Amino acid sequence: MSIWNYVVTAQKPTNVTHSCVGNFTSPQELNLIIAKCTRIEIHLLTPQGLQPMLDVPIYGRIATLELFRPHGEAQDFLFIATERYKFCVLQWDAETSELITRAMGDVSDRIGRPTDNGQIGIIDPDCRLIGLHLYDGLFKVIPFDNKGQLKEAFNIRLEELQVLDIKFLYGCSKPTIVVLYQDNKDARHVKTYEVALKDKDFVEGPWSQNNLDNGADLLIPVPPPLCGVLIIGEETIVYCSANAFKAIPIRPSITRAYGRVDADGSRYLLGDHAGLLHLLVITHEKEKVTGLKIELLGETSIASTISYLDNAVVYIGSSYGDSQLIKLNLQPDAKGSYVEVLESYVNLGPIVDFCVVDLERQGQGQVVTCSGAYKDGSLRIVRNGIGINEQASVELQGIKGMWSLRSSTDDPFDTFLVVSFISETRILAMNLEDELEETEIEGFSSQVQTLFCHYAVYNQLVQVTSSCVRLVSSTTREFRTEWNAPSGYSINVATANATQVLLATGGGHLVYLEIGNGVLTEVKHAQLEYEISCLDINPIGENPNYSQLAAVGMWTDISVRIFSLPDLNVITKEHLGGEIIPRSVLLCSFEGISYLLCALGDGHLLSFLLNLNTGELSDRKKVSLGTQPITLRTFSSKNTTHVFAASDRPTVIYSSNKKLLYSNVNLKEVSHMCPFNSAAFPDSLAIAKEGELTIGTIDDIQKLHIRTIPLGEHARRICHQEQSRTFAICSLKNQSSAEESETHFIRLLDDQSFEFISTYQLDPFEYGCSMLSCSFSDDINVYYCVGTAYVLPEENEPTKGRILVFMVEEGKLQLITEKETKGAVYSLNAFNGKLLAAINQKIQLYKWMLRDDGSRELQSECGHHGHILALYVQTRGDFIVVGDLMKSISLLIYKHEEGAMEERARDYNANWMSAVEILDDDIYLGAENNFNLFTVRKNSEGATDEERGRLEVVGEYHLGEFVNRFRHGSLVMRMPDSEVGQIPTIIFGTVNGVIGVIASLPHEQYMFLEKLQTNLRKVIKGVGGLSHEQWRSFNNEKKTVDAKNFLDGDLIESFLDLSRARMDEISKAMSVSVEELSKRVEELTRLH
Amino acid sequence: MEGSSSQPSDSNPTATDVSKFLSNLPSRGFLSSTVLSSNPGGMRVYICEHNTSPPEGQQIKTNQTNILIRSLQLKKQKGESSSKDMKGVTAAEGSRKRYSFYLCYEGMLAICAPERLQDGRSSSKRSNNQICSEQGGSDSRQADRELYSLTVEKLRALLKERGLSPKGKKDELVARLRNLNG
Repeated sequence: MSIWNYVVTAQKPTNVTHSCVGNFTSPQELNLIIAKCTRIEIHLLTPQGLQPMLDVPIYGRIATLELFRPHGEAQDFLFIATERYKFCVLQWDAETSELITRAMGDVSDRIGRPTDNGQIGIIDPDCRLIGLHLYDGLFKVIPFDNKGQLKEAFNIRLEELQVLDIKFLYGCSKPTIVVLYQDNKDARHVKTYEVALKDKDFVEGPWSQNNLDNGADLLIPVPPPLCGVLIIGEETIVYCSANAFKAIPIRPSITRAYGRVDADGSRYLLGDHAGLLHLLVITHEKEKVTGLKIELLGETSIASTISYLDNAVVYIGSSYGDSQLIKLNLQPDAKGSYVEVLESYVNLGPIVDFCVVDLERQGQGQVVTCSGAYKDGSLRIVRNGIGINEQASVELQGIKGMWSLRSSTDDPFDTFLVVSFISETRILAMNLEDELEETEIEGFSSQVQTLFCHYAVYNQLVQVTSSCVRLVSSTTREFRTEWNAPSGYSINVATANATQVLLATGGGHLVYLEIGNGVLTEVKHAQLEYEISCLDINPIGENPNYSQLAAVGMWTDISVRIFSLPDLNVITKEHLGGEIIPRSVLLCSFEGISYLLCALGDGHLLSFLLNLNTGELSDRKKVSLGTQPITLRTFSSKNTTHVFAASDRPTVIYSSNKKLLYSNVNLKEVSHMCPFNSAAFPDSLAIAKEGELTIGTIDDIQKLHIRTIPLGEHARRICHQEQSRTFAICSLKNQSSAEESETHFIRLLDDQSFEFISTYQLDPFEYGCSMLSCSFSDDINVYYCVGTAYVLPEENEPTKGRILVFMVEEGKLQLITEKETKGAVYSLNAFNGKLLAAINQKIQLYKWMLRDDGSRELQSECGHHGHILALYVQTRGDFIVVGDLMKSISLLIYKHEEGAMEERARDYNANWMSAVEILDDDIYLGAENNFNLFTVRKNSEGATDEERGRLEVVGEYHLGEFVNRFRHGSLVMRMPDSEVGQIPTIIFGTVNGVIGVIASLPHEQYMFLEKLQTNLRKVIKGVGGLSHEQWRSFNNEKKTVDAKNFLDGDLIESFLDLSRARMDEISKAMSVSVEELSKRVEELTRLH
Repeated sequence: MEGSSSQPSDSNPTATDVSKFLSNLPSRGFLSSTVLSSNPGGMRVYICEHNTSPPEGQQIKTNQTNILIRSLQLKKQKGESSSKDMKGVTAAEGSRKRYSFYLCYEGMLAICAPERLQDGRSSSKRSNNQICSEQGGSDSRQADRELYSLTVEKLRALLKERGLSPKGKKDELVARLRNLNG
């Protein structure tokens, strides 16, 4: 790999951190706005459900998201503050569908201690000011003037240093905040302050309340007419206002999120740490609060945000599990729950660990993540490509073609499946038992190969064989009429739709027939100069039964031509270039755009934009899908048309954002495919592959597919063992009954069914910290090694741990040996046939020894001290790269002769590491806890010891994501012939559920893309005026420097979504054609 | 639902209570269809091609004045708002001389503090303000110059308050005050 790296997101963040509801896109429309850390999603509420509108990338990690309505405005504005102290106010412009920046700014202070409990951003309900609590002891005010414009911000000193929450009170003549804080004796109080905008200072507020619940950490302001505030504690909930104080006890729980139900604030939904949803009711007589009531409604994912939408439907945003859309029912279900989950939205976060495996052995990586936390923990299998869920399968050799037919023209379902072989044609149909059985259509000639079949108008079926075209009644199945090929000529290729037939015979004869009621009329005949290789008349115009265009692929001159129908005049002729003939052409339409697809004999596919009126072809693009001839066919899934390209690497072609996308199908080789939408198997496909015919449904058409294996416990480490075909995980389960007790397990899972097949329970207080599948020198067995730590409540750092070595025997975990260690085993690596462990501040190497009695043990060989905590270790050859808790990356070398390890070099920056990986012999990659990535390089040619002992920082980049793990591997099938197939990649997983790819580019390509990125920055603006350059600059407490030797692939790939005018602008600035730019960027998109 | 599953069975009233509380949930006509469909297709990714810089004056910055200084400034403004003729001038000056004000504040603190202790609040405020509003320098020599800009009467008053001799020429008075400040 190299120092020139390209970082791109394969899976966008899924962790929902904030949500709010308001009239954002129009005064009449109600929107749900969701923040997923670095993106916001705008949804529209409709009577039918939630309709997604827009996914907006934000150049920052969102700390606060609030909707508010300034005076005199008809719709809400969106206030966003980022963790790097930028804020912006956005307005939706319905005319242009753009987000307009109303205001933005930098709210950082030069001096100040960032708050421990997170940033707080609140807006006065009467829109007089925005309040921010970003630094301890300071409250920042951004006042509004009377026209709703923001004015210069200023700080006010806040006496309370340990602030837990701040909210604005409703119904106060002066803007009033209520502050929940902890004093230096750890007691919690609330206090109110009026913000005197003129004096730029606080004035003591109307009331305060001392000595609250020790777990109080959430304030809910109550709107008029009641006003006041709810203080949510762990054991009590208190309603407090100037003249009332009501409290109720609750079952001990930590409330994580709340959502207001009624505009008058009398009901609230509270979500706690265990995912229980409660309803809190303020009972009142007119404006006088008489009491509080709390009721358990049911269980949801552990909520991080709750938004009441409408009509008893609630959005639950979650950081630890899938976000949900739930309905609150008036009557409980059988389990006593009032919560009905309408929909779940996949969330991979937090990805604590993952591994890259190739379970189906197809040469394509899959990522298996440890996702979620607590009860919402799960394993997720993430793979690129579309799966087929097999429903029925028959052994059938030598299939040459397949078509589905309806029994009548208006029938929505297919009845027959025509399967053609080299010398016969068989008809399959669904019988009454919903089984596929052989049947007959008397009018068809079954003793010959069928070239094409289609249903036709007037309840007829068309069959084309090498000698004739037959028209058959679909109801009586009787022969009606036929058209015979002239004697001496046989039909080579044919196609048809409901009213038309187009066929080609040897000698370049093109014949066009039209279908009537029991009549086949030869309308036109044309003689072409060469043989015809493929044809298509798929109707994509206004009439679904009639096409005005025909696409024809030619031998010899290797061209594709567009003919007009019915007169068979050539309107366009496009030479394909090269020597490979077109094998399949298809007219199709995606998202209202017409295309001509043309597949070549060598697995390449050409796509053109097709002008339906003029027949003109434009915007030619070429991609490589496989190596064998491709057959193209359309099919529908979820009311959208897609194209299936059958070949040695079957692919689905679909469109998103008006762009053609290609997604692998997870099947090995498909020779033919036809849609078979029967009543028993709706939306199914019939697929001919390797001697069998399969009926199956297809996954949702999207790029990444995620399968969830719910565990009900929190998986923290995962490891795959090829030999035993198992996964092992370290997991922990919280015992809800006992007090905060948790139990840790090592579990063995089957790698196909993902069922637990064996479990080893760890000791009390023992945590699983690391896991490895490895073998040792002089031993053929493969073992699972597990490193643990005894985490005792009275110890700051664990002083005891174990290394457990397991073997899988008959599907069971067998403990072979264990070794006690003097600390937590944070990392385990296979190293020269030995075991390398990182134990607290030490790196320790163990030999695998055979004892006299034949048993095995781990014997310490050598060690290396000198770390604060050696958390992450990677090895390559004799080199060991250590990621330290706070001392960045260091490089150790193992010396065989001396049997010792010594430090070779280190990075002297103080980076708090979260993951490390070795890119190549000299370059190491690190992620640290301020969401940055960096690369360091070993300087073995340095002149002095001092130089050689320093790892030089060569690349820096702000990812904006907390990386938990790097792994070498790829999510996509690598085509050996394509350029991107040569690019080495690393996959990373983050807390927000992002799966990303880091690709090391050749220098030339890097320079080219860097130039493109610079130009794109000028064209693609940051939403809210936030700067891309600033966002990607490496940033921690010590320094902020511009990103170097890393490129933002997400920005670069958005080139493909630009309007043509903007593309031209960039093309001009780069002096590279748009086609070339698109081609190079499209190639990169195939990295993930 | 662990630990709570027993609740509905043993207490029917609770169940009806919940139903009562859950009745009349607000509705504005959205999400009313019995079968809610959500679009599984991907969302359009927003590509922002238009200029996103905020309208003029809406790029917000934070007032960098130290909080203490600012409050003094504000108090000064308040104090002077009563004497109308000065109002406009000092407000403008105050903002222009932000930094010098800060520095001279440090230098003058020792001078002002005892005065505040001895005299009533109003007088201290005024003299403090008067001293400060007439400052213009940015180092200690400049601070001296500012002392020079005070009238002899003022200097004498300051010296008196510190129990020093108010006699002598203006140079001597300033020197005496300066020594006092160190």
